[in-house]
Amino acid sequence: MLFESLALGFELFLTPTAIGLTLVGVLIGLIVGALPGLGPLMGIILLLPVAISLPPVAAMGFLIAIFVGGSCGGSISAILLRIPGTPLAAATLFDGYPMAQNGRASDAIGIAITASAIGGLIGGVVLIVGSPFLARFASDFAPPEYAVLAITGLFAIAVISGDSLIKGLIAGCFGLLLATIGTDEFSTGYRFTFGTHHMLNGFHIVAVVVGLFAISEMAYQIMGRDLLKTPNVKIARPGFGSILLTLRHWKNLVRSSGIGVFFGALPGAGGVISSFTSYAIAKAWAKPDEKYGEGAEGGVVATEAANNATVGGTLVPSLALGIPGDASSAMLLGALLILGFVPGPILFEQQPEMVGGIFLVYMTANVFLLIAGILVTPVFVYVLRIPKFYLIPVVLLLCSIGTFALQASVFDLMVMLGFGLVGILFRAANYPLSPIVIGIILGPILENNLRRALLISREGYWIFLDRPVSAVLVCINISLIIGAIWFGLRKRKKRSTMPEGEDV
Amino acid sequence: MLSTKMLERMVYAFLAVIVAIVFQQIYTSMTEQGIASGGPYNNGAAYPRAIAIALAVLVICQVFVDRFNTEPEKVAEEQFDTTDLRRPILLLVLFAIYLGLLKTLGYHLTTTPMVLGIMLICGARNILKMLLAALIMSFVLAYIFENFLNVVLPGGIFSLNLPW
Repeated sequence: MLFESLALGFELFLTPTAIGLTLVGVLIGLIVGALPGLGPLMGIILLLPVAISLPPVAAMGFLIAIFVGGSCGGSISAILLRIPGTPLAAATLFDGYPMAQNGRASDAIGIAITASAIGGLIGGVVLIVGSPFLARFASDFAPPEYAVLAITGLFAIAVISGDSLIKGLIAGCFGLLLATIGTDEFSTGYRFTFGTHHMLNGFHIVAVVVGLFAISEMAYQIMGRDLLKTPNVKIARPGFGSILLTLRHWKNLVRSSGIGVFFGALPGAGGVISSFTSYAIAKAWAKPDEKYGEGAEGGVVATEAANNATVGGTLVPSLALGIPGDASSAMLLGALLILGFVPGPILFEQQPEMVGGIFLVYMTANVFLLIAGILVTPVFVYVLRIPKFYLIPVVLLLCSIGTFALQASVFDLMVMLGFGLVGILFRAANYPLSPIVIGIILGPILENNLRRALLISREGYWIFLDRPVSAVLVCINISLIIGAIWFGLRKRKKRSTMPEGEDV
Repeated sequence: MLSTKMLERMVYAFLAVIVAIVFQQIYTSMTEQGIASGGPYNNGAAYPRAIAIALAVLVICQVFVDRFNTEPEKVAEEQFDTTDLRRPILLLVLFAIYLGLLKTLGYHLTTTPMVLGIMLICGARNILKMLLAALIMSFVLAYIFENFLNVVLPGGIFSLNLPW
């Protein structure tokens, strides 16, 4: 099954469009990753309208490559400017920036790119081997399992995505409600359409997500004080010798990649947790003379290998179960749905060529990351010198043309602006935005399977406890909530007993 | 200054309106269509009702959590400087005007002034440089979308569409 899908995928992937766009995607990903405030999610959101007009494998290659490049790009600004381009690279500056201060900026960037690419490839192997197994296991799932699994995905993301469990759950519920707008698939009745034909299919997910993330981000960026300043960045030229430097830390590389894949596969955990965890473990296992925190190569290897391996890990549940691991993979699932593919076991059974194509674009994106990343880094350094007053209008223009291009609809632009305001309000009040996106993606899965489960059940909601897998998932959900409440209370108690001025 | 408390109250008000809309729609539009009762197949209102109830319960829980928050000194620190809000407000107003005029005046007549306006809000003052950048940005993006992705950008009442 695996080799068959890869062989079929080759036919779709070996086209100049797919290969070329994978390369372009990596380069765009590196740029959006390097620019502070953007990142892989923003890159995927801004270019999703472009991607959906492309052939399916080329479109997914383009978006996955942005995800791969963007997960690594943040390290460039972390190393050179001491500003992580994305939260994923926050741990990279512990050792990356001191390396740059010691005159080893090129080595640090070279190691970051190499570790990211190798971590990504290790994540890819797990994706290729693991996801068909998971899909085969999930092929026995019926509506009750899918309904509870969707709740698990939402709980996991709500629990981990912010400081407050309740705020995460509120954001998730808001996303679930947004997903109900439009024509009901079962009764064919209209829900929350207010008599307008624009809302018969609900809000377009791209308009909502662009508004929530991109518009709100630009409103925040414009509050900064350095909009006209050209950052003073020195040119760095990493060489292929950094591959050897990285491979010297092979144990760290493999271990951190493993940690990245593990956290990636858990819904909600993501690259930030995996990079900090792998950094902490690498530091704990390091020899004293490695001097972590003062420019240790191992520190850069650990964080970068982990955060890119997370990409492969997060694609495992996304493709095999249709349950996204984070907001970026939720957008990839959204793209798959818009392109006409339903993620989950059915995709592996009925469209193995698409699955194979996705595996191949993911692996190729990591190879391109290694080669192009090292060769083109000086260009990214020039990009970092672009003042923000040029970037903000470009991003807003991309948002508006991209959103308009979806359905040639000005209504979508108004939706985008409206959700921009919602995004600003939620961010200002410390509500996480990712659960909203996950809620929108998981909403139809949850509702359809919940209603189907109740239709086939003779005992109402007991069907969720009658079946072993769904009963286990229900227990996991209850444990997640109890665990989150317990940790929250413990944190609060700790904070109240701490002397003033200290933080947890 | 906008405090975190005030912002949170604004979120509560927003979510209360959302919950109210859900119930208003269930008892009016959905009832009229006959999809607000019956079994899992016919009842299209049961699921949004359940989610709205969950949302309302969660908001009430959050209100209680805030009410009994024992960290007043931390809350007082988290203020939102309203002097900082001038630029984002101007940006959003300009962007709303742009979106409003897009259909009437078309992409080419509205985009360059919008980009110029954003640069002015950011504090840039070199008009020639800004104008050049605004023209390049709007035309390059229009070229990419219209030429490569076959998107027809709004031409407005003057039907201004460039034959690339």
